[in-house]
Amino acid sequence: MKKISLYTLLFLSICLASCEKFLDLKPTNALLSENAIYDAKTSRAVVNAAYSNLKNYYIQYDLVLGLLPGDNIFFGGSQSQNIELDNHAFTVTNSAIVGAYQANYSLINLVNWAISEIPKVEDPQLSVAEKNKLLGEAHFIRALAYFHLVRSWGGVQLQLQPTRDLNSLGDIPRSTALETYNQIFKDLKLAEDYLPNDDASTRNRIQKSVVYGIRAKVNLYAGNYDQVEEDANKVIENPKYKLVTSYSDFFQVPFLSSESVFELSATANNTGVSASPWLPSTGTPRGSYEFRPTQALIDLVNNPEVGGERSTLLGKRGDDYYGKLYHTLNPSLNSIYVLRIADLYLIRAEARILAQNQNISGALTDVNLIRQRAQISPLPESLTADEILDAIHNERRLEFALEGDRWYDLVRTQKAEEVLGVQPNFWLFPIPQVDILGDPSLKNSQNPGY
Amino acid sequence: MNLLILVLALCFTSEVYSQSAFQGVVKNSNSGLPIAGVSIENSNTKDAYVSDSQGNFTIQNPTFPIILTFQSIGYKSETKTFHQANSNIEVSLEEENQYLNEVVITGYTTQQRKNISGSIATVQFNEQSQNQADVDALKLLQGKAPGVQISSTSGSPGGGISFLIRGNSSIGGSVEPLYVIDGVFISTHLPVSGGGGNLLSNPIADLNPSDIESISILKDANATAIYGSQGSNGVVVITTKRGRRNSPSRINFHLKEGVSQATNEWAIASGTESGQLLLESWENTAKDNGESLSSYLNRERPTHWNIVFPFSLPNGSPDFTQNNIQNLPTYDRVESLFRSAVSQDYQVSVNGGNEKSNHYIGIGYSNQESIVKPNNFSRFSGRVNYDNQIREKLKVGVSFNLVRTGRENVRNSDNDPTGIIGSAIFPRSFLPIYDENGDYLNHATFNNHLRLIEHLDNSYVTWRNTVNLNGEYTILPSLKFRSSWSYDLSNHNSRSFSDFALSNTGSATASNQINQVFSGEQLLQFVESFNVKHDVDVLLGNTLLINQNQGLNSFGSQYIFDVLREVSSAANTGGGSFRSESRLVSFFGKAGYTYDSKYALEFSFRADGSSRFGKNVQWGYFPALGATWNAHRESFLQNSKQISLLQLRASYGITGNQNGIGNYDALAIWNSNAQAYLDDPSLTPGRLGNPNLTWETTSQSNVGLDLGLFQNRLTFHLDAYYKYTKDGLQAVNVPSRSGYSTAILNYSEISNKGLEFQILATPVQNENWSWTTSFNISANRNKIEKIPQEQTLGATNRGTSILRQGYPVNSFFLYKQLYVDPQTGNAVYDDVDNNGIINYADRQIVGSAEPDFQGGFTQYVTYKNFDLNVFFHFTKGNEVLNMQQYFMVHGGTQNGIGFDKRQLNRWQKPGDITDIPRLTRFNRNPELNNAPANNYLGQVASLSSRYLDDGSFLRLRNVAIGYTLPTQFTRRIGVEKLKATISATNLWTLTSYKGVDPEVSAQSSNQNTAGYDWATIPQPRTIEAIINITF
Repeated sequence: MKKISLYTLLFLSICLASCEKFLDLKPTNALLSENAIYDAKTSRAVVNAAYSNLKNYYIQYDLVLGLLPGDNIFFGGSQSQNIELDNHAFTVTNSAIVGAYQANYSLINLVNWAISEIPKVEDPQLSVAEKNKLLGEAHFIRALAYFHLVRSWGGVQLQLQPTRDLNSLGDIPRSTALETYNQIFKDLKLAEDYLPNDDASTRNRIQKSVVYGIRAKVNLYAGNYDQVEEDANKVIENPKYKLVTSYSDFFQVPFLSSESVFELSATANNTGVSASPWLPSTGTPRGSYEFRPTQALIDLVNNPEVGGERSTLLGKRGDDYYGKLYHTLNPSLNSIYVLRIADLYLIRAEARILAQNQNISGALTDVNLIRQRAQISPLPESLTADEILDAIHNERRLEFALEGDRWYDLVRTQKAEEVLGVQPNFWLFPIPQVDILGDPSLKNSQNPGY
Repeated sequence: MNLLILVLALCFTSEVYSQSAFQGVVKNSNSGLPIAGVSIENSNTKDAYVSDSQGNFTIQNPTFPIILTFQSIGYKSETKTFHQANSNIEVSLEEENQYLNEVVITGYTTQQRKNISGSIATVQFNEQSQNQADVDALKLLQGKAPGVQISSTSGSPGGGISFLIRGNSSIGGSVEPLYVIDGVFISTHLPVSGGGGNLLSNPIADLNPSDIESISILKDANATAIYGSQGSNGVVVITTKRGRRNSPSRINFHLKEGVSQATNEWAIASGTESGQLLLESWENTAKDNGESLSSYLNRERPTHWNIVFPFSLPNGSPDFTQNNIQNLPTYDRVESLFRSAVSQDYQVSVNGGNEKSNHYIGIGYSNQESIVKPNNFSRFSGRVNYDNQIREKLKVGVSFNLVRTGRENVRNSDNDPTGIIGSAIFPRSFLPIYDENGDYLNHATFNNHLRLIEHLDNSYVTWRNTVNLNGEYTILPSLKFRSSWSYDLSNHNSRSFSDFALSNTGSATASNQINQVFSGEQLLQFVESFNVKHDVDVLLGNTLLINQNQGLNSFGSQYIFDVLREVSSAANTGGGSFRSESRLVSFFGKAGYTYDSKYALEFSFRADGSSRFGKNVQWGYFPALGATWNAHRESFLQNSKQISLLQLRASYGITGNQNGIGNYDALAIWNSNAQAYLDDPSLTPGRLGNPNLTWETTSQSNVGLDLGLFQNRLTFHLDAYYKYTKDGLQAVNVPSRSGYSTAILNYSEISNKGLEFQILATPVQNENWSWTTSFNISANRNKIEKIPQEQTLGATNRGTSILRQGYPVNSFFLYKQLYVDPQTGNAVYDDVDNNGIINYADRQIVGSAEPDFQGGFTQYVTYKNFDLNVFFHFTKGNEVLNMQQYFMVHGGTQNGIGFDKRQLNRWQKPGDITDIPRLTRFNRNPELNNAPANNYLGQVASLSSRYLDDGSFLRLRNVAIGYTLPTQFTRRIGVEKLKATISATNLWTLTSYKGVDPEVSAQSSNQNTAGYDWATIPQPRTIEAIINITF
């Protein structure tokens, strides 16, 4: 008996000593670290992840938020978050709205890490020039993410530090829309300073022109019409960018046409927008036909005096019209078009009307360039400023019919009630219920109407 | 065949009797009837024997004087000394308080009822339980053990089961109990998992119910604390058949053939009805818009307008004055979904033993078709259990189980539009199944159900090998050392191929996953009686547990021919591997003291160190205490004529739950992808570290009362418990601005309290008749005591279930529809905050998926050679959210979906009283109450209580009638027993549920979203013919 107890004790003590080692297990598929940015390789990878996440954001959220509430596309599937968007019933638990909000902040956290850690990296492999380029990209992506937030939710919480642990999040109330725009301009300025000048061919990474182009667009949204022209000119005058001859050229393989100021490219491993929800459910190739053109859009693009060559955006199979902008399948290699030179012409045109020093003829020239390219007759010079403005808005509807701008354009131009019957209270999406409940800084700061 | 010969050979060898044998018979002292199955131990040699069905026993080559101890459940044990072999040795055993001496399997040991303070439900697996058509053991437990809530997530064989013991005690951790089969900790990794939280399989379906002797369900803390950080959700201890020493080997055949059918099918509106509903919806929408029907249709062109209005005016524009509704065809898809499913179950087993050893060998084959095509379940199993007293003091044993479980053509998730059921019920019924060329037609987002049925090609095969080796050394008569080593290997192989009919260019996947559980267990047990009145037992032990999970997967796409179905035939191929491991080190002890069989005290303790816990909290300690008072042994009751049993029990203890913490969840990680944007690598923060991440702690108190009357022919068992769980694991929502959406924290608190009541009775027992009956009912009340913030979940992000402090989990969170205004036909919702508008603030809890009570009752009647077994199961007070009707009673707002017949009850004209509002697609002013937008769209978005139904039911789970041929007749043909049975499962159901089957709980891989009807396979009605033969 004694002997046995002794053995047992011995066994227990041996085990106890080795227990700690026995219980120490590590995963084999992830880096174990509080902070994994420490050299050239990891610095590049964290910024590249931001590109990747930005692309995913556009694919998964920006398209549905920009298109479904608009009047170009309706939803033919059964997912209720999309039915809600289609019917302008924006609920605080809508998974597309919640997911988009979270995806932007997740992207912001990622670039916050890059902005905070890359300057500390000491690695001979990482030149100052490259460091600056990475920082410029990070600042730009942060600006773009805040732009997505401000145009969808209004002024939001400005989170500018990486999250190291949840207890140090601090109290950050919502900023005003103006404050959010100011932060965006601050980041864009830093991006401009850090980024290298354009090379002759890159269109799927951020360079200085991308910053100018986006700043022109943000200024249009922020109502700073006087500040649009200068940035837009810098891009338009750059010979690297010009309108493609035929409208449909910009979305043909291998993409990256001269039209493109910034597009997010796909590869077989890192796929792009899927054609599946656009393609009809009968015939080949088969899709799920969830995003369907409305009758209004079908009529508009097929009207040779209105749509012109933009009829190439839609195809027809049997009785079914379907969108063809995103057409590759297995694998989906379709790019996301963040900014096209056509957009800059129309942005400049709109700003020229709205700026203090109105430039009506300049605006008309810009919009007619776009109409000409679409093979439709130019607008007559007899039009009033307001008529030109309406024409620009109508042009935007068709020119970017299947890109994610329609809803935001209607809200920006305050036409969402007139065109869609949506009251101004619902022009901003609701802050997700999980944040209202889970973040003390958001107490009583839900958007009106929800 | 070879195996059969081996089995027969084994059987014959043990039937050889020696000439010089000592023979006798054991009889009941009261009735004089022989007693079968009495264990007889020879005190000199320690050899063991068992009496046969006639009470006879034989001891070969005895050495006189021979001292024999006779023991049998329900009888007082007897020790007798014989000096010579007389011819008519007869031993009489006196009946004893049966219930209390019943041997119960508890954590790591067995104990007699009278010493157990805990709450343990034991279900014996016998012929009656095998009459039920279900192929898996867990489903056979449903309704039989009080306090255990079992629900199937679908009617497919081997399909998912949600198994809750005494309520849901965790929000973010697992609520699944720990399964232990013959001492082996079982891997519960799912062989097939579905999307959207659907459970498509259950891991215990790998166990052949025919091999099971009994299942003990350990419920209270005193019973489970010995399992420490794995014990909170209860422990299911499964014991398989082992054979008995010195009993002749018997060969048992069990043959079963059955046919299953659906009891109820989905009611889909016909083509004409669908056309009428669509037109009505468009007319109403146009009216709400303030425009004419033709203007609305011209502008909006709603889906299928041209099928309803196919005619054109002479100028080529559509003619909206005449419709085609009366001529719309109806294509019945539901009919071709179901089939009469056949099932087979064949079992052969051999059990018996000689003086030193005992064995059980069982092989079985089951095949069961699902009533919804084309799914199929099959299982081959083999088991060998063998024990041998190799030395006087050393006993060794082995349990070996090898199973192949196959699931063919498992359908996709229920709520998936590409799933078989979804693609059959959702398309509008006037849309054809084939085009004019005879090719499959898809409609809207739905696949073609026949395409899926005819082309689905997937299989999931699990090879499972569960082995236990153990040795027991008797150091002193009262001190034993036991060492037990176990290994559970499950090897899941899955393959699937989508041919050109299913996907544009063909795609294939193949994967292999291995789950291994190793456990080693050392036990030292001391059992001694002092001065007759003092019984002491002490147990000390240690276990090591390693749980490993690793696998490979591969996928291919772009095929040239779809007859080549391997991944390697694809143009694009890819693959991956994964590995994960957790470890647990435990030390435990248990001590019990009983005085005069009247008062018993128990104490147990366990310390667990887990690799999953954060480094600040790597060790957990789990104590428990229990006391028992056998009041009927007190002098004031000892001579009572009526009361034969009065036992009071109380226990308190602390257990843990670490199931649900991912293996490395406490560690901070960054994720990397070698080929992200432009095929360059990426690096993203994956998870914040949490060095304080640890087990959930549940404290539980339990009091119990057992009362037996009339020599325990009538017994009552009552248990009451209170469970409080703190440091509950939860994926807590964190502010989005952190860049994370959730973090796993130990925060929430949850309580469960309940009552369990059981009656067992033998009202009639005589020569020709016997009647035994049992009834159990249990009620559990669940409450979230503390939660960081409300959380809505369920119904694929529709947030229809809510976790809210003060309410049970699985509360439904919806807009409460008060009525449909008879004047306007619009739905009127409860405006909770009375602010005149309907928005999120008006969503409220309108019921729960938790039943008020549930249980079952069994009647077993025998008359001469006939026997009848009737088993009912019931549940009351639970709500079910009918998602199938949510989608199919849509008022015309779902562009691609047809209508359920319930939509025909819609409001049509002023004065109509109904709960289905007026059809309309109008969507302006989404926040107004009693306004058309909120009928099916708007802020309510159909998340209305009108789709919430009472899911209570009473179901005749099984009725079986059997006839055993008289033994005197069968013996002449060399058969010990021959029995034929006709059995019917799910023959009759009483329910007010409006869907197809109330017994659904899809999405229940998440315990917080129970009670959803996603149009899963209903429970089938099965008729079976069964033959049992024993040689």
